[in-house]
Amino acid sequence: MQTDSAVVKDTVTSKKVASDKLLLKVEDVSMHFGVLAALKGVSFSVPKGNISVIIGPNGAGKSTLLKLISGLLPLQQGEIWFKRHRLSRVPPHRISALGITQLFQDVQLFSNMSVIENVMVGCHLRTRAGFLSAGLRLPQAQANERRILKRAMSKLSLVGLEQKAWDNPASLSWGQQKLVGLARALATGSEVLLLDEPYSGLLADEISKLNRLIIKLQRQGITILIVEHLTDVLMGIANQVIVLDYGEKIAEGTPDEIQHNKLVIDAYLGSG
Amino acid sequence: MRMKAFREIRSKMSSVKLQNRVVALFTLVMMTIPLGIGPYPISVMVDVGLYSIVTMGIILLMGFAGQISIGHAAFFGIGAYTSAILTTHYQVSPWLALFLGTVISGGIAAAIGRAMFRLHGLMLAGITLAMNLVFYHLVSSMVNITGGAMGLMNIPPLMLGGFNFSRSFLTYYMVWIIAIVVLGFSLNLADSQVGRVLRSMNIHAGGSENAAQVLGINVTRYKVQVFAISAVYASIAGSIYAHHARVVEPGTFFIPFSVMVVIMAFLGGLRSPWGAFLGAGLMIGVRELLWEIMPVFVTGITGAYELIAYGVILVLALLFLPRGLISLVGKAFTKRRAVV
Amino acid sequence: MDFPSALQIFISGVNLGAIYTAIGLGFFIIYSVTRVINLAQGDFVMMGGMLTVSFYNMGIPLIPSIIPAVVITGLAGAGLYRFIIYPARRYSRLTRLLLTVGFVFAVQGVALLIWGWDFRGLPAFFNTPSIQLWGATIFGQTPWVIGGMLVMVTGLFFFFGRTIQGKALRACANEPLGARTVGVNIDRMALYSFIMAAGLGAVVGAMITPLTMTSYNMGWPLTIKGLLAAFVGGVNRAEGVILGGITLGMIEAATAGIVPGGYHNVIAPGILIVVLLLRPHGILAIVGKE
Repeated sequence: MQTDSAVVKDTVTSKKVASDKLLLKVEDVSMHFGVLAALKGVSFSVPKGNISVIIGPNGAGKSTLLKLISGLLPLQQGEIWFKRHRLSRVPPHRISALGITQLFQDVQLFSNMSVIENVMVGCHLRTRAGFLSAGLRLPQAQANERRILKRAMSKLSLVGLEQKAWDNPASLSWGQQKLVGLARALATGSEVLLLDEPYSGLLADEISKLNRLIIKLQRQGITILIVEHLTDVLMGIANQVIVLDYGEKIAEGTPDEIQHNKLVIDAYLGSG
Repeated sequence: MRMKAFREIRSKMSSVKLQNRVVALFTLVMMTIPLGIGPYPISVMVDVGLYSIVTMGIILLMGFAGQISIGHAAFFGIGAYTSAILTTHYQVSPWLALFLGTVISGGIAAAIGRAMFRLHGLMLAGITLAMNLVFYHLVSSMVNITGGAMGLMNIPPLMLGGFNFSRSFLTYYMVWIIAIVVLGFSLNLADSQVGRVLRSMNIHAGGSENAAQVLGINVTRYKVQVFAISAVYASIAGSIYAHHARVVEPGTFFIPFSVMVVIMAFLGGLRSPWGAFLGAGLMIGVRELLWEIMPVFVTGITGAYELIAYGVILVLALLFLPRGLISLVGKAFTKRRAVV
Repeated sequence: MDFPSALQIFISGVNLGAIYTAIGLGFFIIYSVTRVINLAQGDFVMMGGMLTVSFYNMGIPLIPSIIPAVVITGLAGAGLYRFIIYPARRYSRLTRLLLTVGFVFAVQGVALLIWGWDFRGLPAFFNTPSIQLWGATIFGQTPWVIGGMLVMVTGLFFFFGRTIQGKALRACANEPLGARTVGVNIDRMALYSFIMAAGLGAVVGAMITPLTMTSYNMGWPLTIKGLLAAFVGGVNRAEGVILGGITLGMIEAATAGIVPGGYHNVIAPGILIVVLLLRPHGILAIVGKE
């Protein structure tokens, strides 16, 4: 449990950090699917404003971890803290309201609406749209719509796709779809973004574009937790790297430290 | 870049205006029709109107929120019986009774909705079916209150101002004014953020419940709210039906009715509340035509050939119009808009 | 409660349960292979009953009358699949469900045409008389219903569990892709499932007509009963359907005597609601196989 504004020793990295700077704290989290243990006693903390990356070989439990944080999977063992809130048994939409949103690996854009409408759905948390005021077309509902459209457009511009606003999502390239998904996630105004393998399927120029975007977002104060496979790309921009293997955390540190960590090298190249 | 987006927005706005004009035209047409037709067609149109109201609720529930209900006759029945009982046994004003009916329907829908929507697809359909059955059998059994299988009779007609709505002519206007108001409300919902959010949750139409949830959308709450609204629509129609038919008996509020409104929603088109009118118009139109025309061509047991033809037409319509009649109507009327 | 009444209720319960189960199994067969909810199942039962009556009235002895009745109903089932369901194979499941409703209308229309509004009856098989057993009255037909049902269930278990064809049918339901890989013709299997369900329904119809009579529109209440049994037990396990059917039958029989008026009809759907809320897939269903 974190105490107020004191200087504490981060139990994980043993570095001294102001406790109110630790945004997200994962404590001893384990997860079983039947007999299969997907995660075993994983602990780490993410300071505010970080770009933190979770890497590890396939099946290491990385996606599961993200789903536990965003609430799509129920927490079986351990605790997850976000600021002062305990995230067990909290439904995903409440977690989102608290400030954490996720971008899925397959994005899952809504194919029954245009690109801009997808992003507008993301603005949901920023509106007070009720059934009654919407159905009666009250002035506040109309103003709401205008506001949402404006906000959605600005997020879409941020990722550089405002030209595609009225297009069908299916007509976009995969890389563009990912960017729309990102814009949609950004529309929520969340301070923490969970990105599940955002680079998968992207072309080289799209990768660097995404990198630049992520850094830009960090400068805007957003904390980003990325689960990824492609390690080289991220080593350049990450502040913190956490390595999972077979559901356990085997290493944590700066990109530099990780790249020279024997355990990590073994896990990726060795015995497996 | 910006200019293009601006132009796009302008074209969307004109399609909003277009829809407004269509609604106005529709209203004009529906209001003038009774002047040119006799009492029997008017009474048929009253049926179309009532079914349309219920079906609009189903379209919001199925087409937008992506949930199914094959038990909505129960809500239609709650409205009808509440009005019938309160006005015959307790001399309550019909309008108050109608209002109370909607409160009860909406309340029950909200109460059971939370538990209900933990289920999906087949099982959800099953529980709505069970709900209809429970209603039907309860109403059939509570003989003292509901008249049991025989039902209630001599329900007073609606009164408004000096007008006595016992004539179909006036009931027609009341039904269709309400139907158009409900249409307006539903269209507004559909084109608003609410409609957008509903579509985003609808896994049968390209949405994703998970994606919606991580964006902060309380999926269950939306499902329940739409369910409650559809219950209210059905209840309103039910109350009016009670005063129009002057008789209520349990058989009307059973599975065939529930399935019929689903068929109407489906054949009309789930993509827009307009589909309700198309579907109701189609099914009732076909029914009336068959019952009128068939006896001319074939003499035989009344109802037999009509039933057969009805079934055949239904099958053909489903096979050839999988997206409903609305897919035949031009894109201009149903294009998704994002602007007010 | 005295023993005769209890026995009467028990017998009535088994009887009802047998009927629920048999119809539910008809659903199950079609649903498990094709994922179609066949709302015409009750009308297959009606057809079986009505056709048997017709053939019997033509002078053919009772039991042999069942055979043409089953054949014709089976053909109807085949027609339903071939001309109505198969063309819609790429449409949504809801569409296929609604298509069976269209079929229901058409079938009821034909039935109305041929047999009119009347109720038709049959004597009990082999003219078995009602017997008195320990104070309870058992109608002559009841043992045939129960016995027939047992035979049916055993036969189905054997068929689905032991024979190649049965296993092929199950494979289609569980793993269509895998089934195709080993050469199973899914289309053919689907057709067979419809024919089987129709035939079974017809047999049920013939069996229960001596007890309950048939009329052109008795399909609906039967369909609903079968649906309830299947849902309560869990649509994707045959054992579930049987359990659901027997349970519903027993409870309905038990409450019919005790509960006044028509309230006992509320019990069956009420149970379904409770079951679905507690176990969203039905009592015995395998979770994750929907």
